[in-house]
Amino acid sequence: MDTDVSASGGAGGAVESKGLKAGALGLASATVVGVASTAPGYSLAASLGLVTLYVGLRSPAIMWIAFIPMACIASAFFYLNRADPDCGTNFTWVSRAIGPKSGWMGGWSSMIADLVIMPSLAYIAASYTFQLLGLDSMANSQWWTLALGIVFIMAMTWICVVGIELSARTQLILLSTELAVLVLFSVWALIRVYANQIPGSIHPSWSWLAPSDFGGVSGLTGGVLVVVFLYWGWDTAVSVNEECEDANRVPGLAAVLSTFILVGIYVIVAIAAQAVKGPGFLTNHSNDVLSATGSIIFGTSGWGTLAEKLLIIAVLSSAAASCQTTILPAARTALSMSTHKAFPPVYSEMDRRYLTPAKSTWIFGIISSVWFALLVIASRLYGGDVLLWSVSSVGLMISYYYGQTGIACAIYYRRYLFTSVKNFFLVGLLPLIGGLSLGAVFVKSVWDMTDAAYTDPPQSWLGVSPVLWIGLGAFLGGIPLMFWWQSKDRTFFERGRDPVDGRPPPEGGEPLPPLVANERVL
Amino acid sequence: MAGEIILGYDGLEESRAALKAAVQVAAAFGRHLVVVFGYEPNPLGGEVRDLRHAIREIGAKFGEEATQLAHGFDASVAVEVELVDDRPAEAILRAAEEHDALLIVVGAESRGPIAGSLLGSATYQVVHRSPRPVLVVPLPAEP
Repeated sequence: MDTDVSASGGAGGAVESKGLKAGALGLASATVVGVASTAPGYSLAASLGLVTLYVGLRSPAIMWIAFIPMACIASAFFYLNRADPDCGTNFTWVSRAIGPKSGWMGGWSSMIADLVIMPSLAYIAASYTFQLLGLDSMANSQWWTLALGIVFIMAMTWICVVGIELSARTQLILLSTELAVLVLFSVWALIRVYANQIPGSIHPSWSWLAPSDFGGVSGLTGGVLVVVFLYWGWDTAVSVNEECEDANRVPGLAAVLSTFILVGIYVIVAIAAQAVKGPGFLTNHSNDVLSATGSIIFGTSGWGTLAEKLLIIAVLSSAAASCQTTILPAARTALSMSTHKAFPPVYSEMDRRYLTPAKSTWIFGIISSVWFALLVIASRLYGGDVLLWSVSSVGLMISYYYGQTGIACAIYYRRYLFTSVKNFFLVGLLPLIGGLSLGAVFVKSVWDMTDAAYTDPPQSWLGVSPVLWIGLGAFLGGIPLMFWWQSKDRTFFERGRDPVDGRPPPEGGEPLPPLVANERVL
Repeated sequence: MAGEIILGYDGLEESRAALKAAVQVAAAFGRHLVVVFGYEPNPLGGEVRDLRHAIREIGAKFGEEATQLAHGFDASVAVEVELVDDRPAEAILRAAEEHDALLIVVGAESRGPIAGSLLGSATYQVVHRSPRPVLVVPLPAEP
C-alpha cells in the first residue's frame, strides 16, 4: 500500500501528461488577451496628441503603416515561440540565437520600456480619475496627479503581487465596453462633424489615409515610433499559443482578428478625433486627448455628460489592464533573467503564499514610483511634459527589442530559410524586414532627438532633447550593469548561443542532420 | 485503484489543518490520500514559462512537506502527490474525477465570504461545483 509518489518523480511526469487544461484559451479569450494587452483606450489617450504632432493630418495613415513592421515582428514571435515556447520574452530567444550579451540587453530594454511607460500610465490614470470626479483643477496639477499616480502604481503592484486576476468573462465585458465606447465616440463625432454642429471641425478626406506627406522622414519615423507604442503588447495574441485549444489554428486566427480590431479602432478614432477640431487641437491637448475631445462632441448636459464619463471610465479600465500587462511582464522578465543567472538571485525569489515573484514585483513598483517623481520634479525645474517624454522615449526601447527579435528569428532558423517558400517569407524575409525597418526607425529617431526641437515647444538638456536622455540613458545604463553582473557571476555569459546543429525546424519536427565538417551555412 | 481521498494543499495553515483531517479520514476508511497542488499564472502578463517552473518547484516542496506531515500523523496512510498546471479549483475537481474520489478535503479560507468571492476562492468553487462530498476543515480555534 505504500505508493508514496515523490513530487519530483512520478508526479512530475503526471504534470506533463495532464493534456489540455480545462481553462485553455478559446478563440475569443486569445483575442481578448491580445487586444487587452495592447490597451487601446489608454494607448490612444496617451499618444494620439503626439501622433498628430509628428504627422499632422496623416495620423490615420500612420496607424496602418506602422502596423506593417509590427506584423512582420509578430511572425518572428510566432516562430521563435515554437522553438522555446511560453517564455514570450526576447531575452531567452535572443540569447539562444545571437548570444548572451545581446539577449541580456534585449531583456533589459523590455524591462526599461515597462519602467519608462509607468509615469505615463500613472499620469493618465490619475488625471482621468480626477476628471471623472469633476476635480478638473486637480487633474491639471502635476503634484496631485503625481500623488494619485503613485497610489495607483502601488495599488496595481499590490494586485500583481497578490495575484488577483479578472475572470475571462469579466475581461471580455470590460474590453467590449472599452471598444464600444471608442466606436460610439467616433461615430458620434463624425455625425456631429457632418452635421456641421461643431465650429472649427473639418470633414474627413481619403487623403488622410494616403501613405505620403508625413512631413519628411523625421515626421514618418517620429510617427512610427509613437504608433509602435500603440501596438505594443499585441504580440501576446500570437505567443499565447501553447495555451490555446487548437494550437495550430487559434493563435493565428486570434492574431488576425485582434489585428483587424486594433487597426480598425485606431484608424477610426484618429479620423474622428482630428475631424472635430483639427490635429493641432489634439497636439495641444496631448495629456487629455480623449476627454477634451469627448467633452466637445458629447456636450456638457444630460446624456452627453454620461457618455463623457463612460469614455473616461473606458480609458481608466484600459489603463488598469495596461498596468497589469506592464508590471507582470517586467517582474517576470526579471525572474526569468535571474533564473538563468543573468540577474541577481533576489529577483527570482517566490512568495509562498501568492506564488508570484513578489520581491521583483515590489522592486519594479517602487522604482517606477521614484522614476515618476523624478520626472515630475525635472519637468518642474526645466519645464516640459512628463507624459510626452515617456511616450516618446518608450518607442525607442520597443523598436530596439522588437527589431532585435525579428533579426534573431532569421538568424536562429537560418538553416531552414530555403527549405520552403513559406519559411523563406514568414521566418526569414518578413522578420528581417520588420527588424531592419524598426532598426532604421531607432537610429533615425536617436539622431532627431539630438535636436532640442524634437519636442514642441523645443526643450534642451545640455543641448539635446530630454527625450533622448530618458530613452537612451536608461537603455545604455544597462551596459555597465551587465558588465558589473558578469564580473559577479559569469555562468550565464559563458553559456553561448545554441549550436546550429540541434535547432529544430520552424514548422516543428526533427532537426536537419548535423553539418559535416567545414560545411558552412550562410 | 479508485475511491481515494483528495486533499487540496497549498502549504498554508488552513491546508495543514485540512491535511490532518484528511489523514484521519483516509486511515479510518483504509484509502490512499492524494495531495493535489494546482497552479496557473495569469496569462495576461505573458512570459509565464520560468514563473511556471518556479511555482512547480514550490509545489514539489509542498508535496514533500505534506507527505512528511501525513506520515507524522499516521504512517500507515499511503500518500500520492499530484502537481497540476491548472487553477487550484480545477485541479482538485479533475483529480477527484480521475480518482473517482470518495471525498474531497479542503481548508476553510480565512478571508471571509465577501473577499473570498471577489478574489476567487478555491474552497468556494470546489464546494459549489463538486458532484462529490466535500469536507471543509476550519482552523482549530485559538486556545
